[in-house]
Amino acid sequence: MNRFLSQMRALLGQSLKVEWATPERWLSPLLFAITVLVLFSFAVGMVEGPDAAKLIVAETFLTAFFALQISFSRSLDPDMQDRVFDVLRTYPISPSAWFLSKYLLVFCMGALILIPTMVLSSFFYGKSGVSMLSIPLVAIALTALAGMSALGVLLSTMTMRSGSKQILYPLLYFPLTTPVLLSAVESSKAVLANGDSLETLMSSWLGLLVIFGIIYFTLGLLLFGELVKAE
Amino acid sequence: MLKVSKLNFGYKFRPIIKGLDFHLDEGQLLHISGPNGCGKTTLMSILAGLIQESSGSIEYKHQGNVSKDRREHIEYLPAEANGLYGKMDAMENLRFWVSLRGLSYSDEQIIEELKLWSLDHPLIRKNFAIEKYSTGMKRRLSLARVNLSNAPVWLLDEPLYGLDVKGIQQFQNILKQHLEGGGAAIVVSHDVAPLEIFDPIVLELKKQGGQ
Repeated sequence: MNRFLSQMRALLGQSLKVEWATPERWLSPLLFAITVLVLFSFAVGMVEGPDAAKLIVAETFLTAFFALQISFSRSLDPDMQDRVFDVLRTYPISPSAWFLSKYLLVFCMGALILIPTMVLSSFFYGKSGVSMLSIPLVAIALTALAGMSALGVLLSTMTMRSGSKQILYPLLYFPLTTPVLLSAVESSKAVLANGDSLETLMSSWLGLLVIFGIIYFTLGLLLFGELVKAE
Repeated sequence: MLKVSKLNFGYKFRPIIKGLDFHLDEGQLLHISGPNGCGKTTLMSILAGLIQESSGSIEYKHQGNVSKDRREHIEYLPAEANGLYGKMDAMENLRFWVSLRGLSYSDEQIIEELKLWSLDHPLIRKNFAIEKYSTGMKRRLSLARVNLSNAPVWLLDEPLYGLDVKGIQQFQNILKQHLEGGGAAIVVSHDVAPLEIFDPIVLELKKQGGQ
């Protein structure tokens, strides 16, 4: 257990250091998100009434979805330089420790994109009286991110090993994230427009979101070892 | 220590390694040689666990018992790459790799290792991204990683790549210490002369498999 934790800590620490040393890796998806929100804001203009809630949810999740796709697909790039990934594969590393470290990294970097996106969209919709900045909405967004992060690590590793990353990644990522996004959008809409509580939503869309999160996380934990073992 | 029996590997219709047998004991150096494309790097990748052999067995014996995971006992240095994070400095790189093996070294011990490779100057060991290192410096740093690993078997694919005369001498000293300490090494190198002092066992691979 000690070795598992120390390996996870080492892998996560190193990945965070690399991210910190290369700010363009997380800055470019963030700038992308800001640009999309600004464009939406100019194109849609001032919206009031029940449509405002629907629009803010759609804009925020759509923007975050594309920005996160950029971020996730690059999650293993630093390890590909100088064959670090191959050398890691020759080390006696627990696949679960490796997966969890990458998962936490992707979740943290995703939150670094998702939270500012929510802040910014709330800023643009400030006059409409709707905001994404409430505990239930942040909780829904982070739950969606938790599921998507597991999928992101898994797909990033899988497509990297296949050698056709540019084509395969979006082909797999878009359909597989659709249930997570739909649940997140519907849950958020229910909170914003109808004032539903998280407890109520657990038996409908939010429950589905949590289930998909658990499925993707479990799949990641189980399959990651297969993806890094000898070809 | 390391026993390879009836090892086969190939791509669809092209056999690369055919029925390869060898064993390596403590203190021995195996030099794998052969023409380009004969499968030297492929063999190293198989031994390192990166590629799955088609058939045959690779056994590592630890204290008389066959080890379940030979990665515990093997340290691999790939050809034309060093397995180092370019944005990190030398100290961070070494600290990272040793921590994955569950080893803990003090900063002083890591600096001592860097000293063996003439990389201990304060201006290059810390807060200096190794992407700015020369080819030879990166190779020396990756050899420092190998030496710090405490792994009894070293798999070194073209370890002398980019090393100057001093670097080659440093490599010879470290390899000598490793072999005298009961370790073993498998080296792929086209530069034969620096290895001759160790009187290595030579494994000559031929194109399309076989010994």
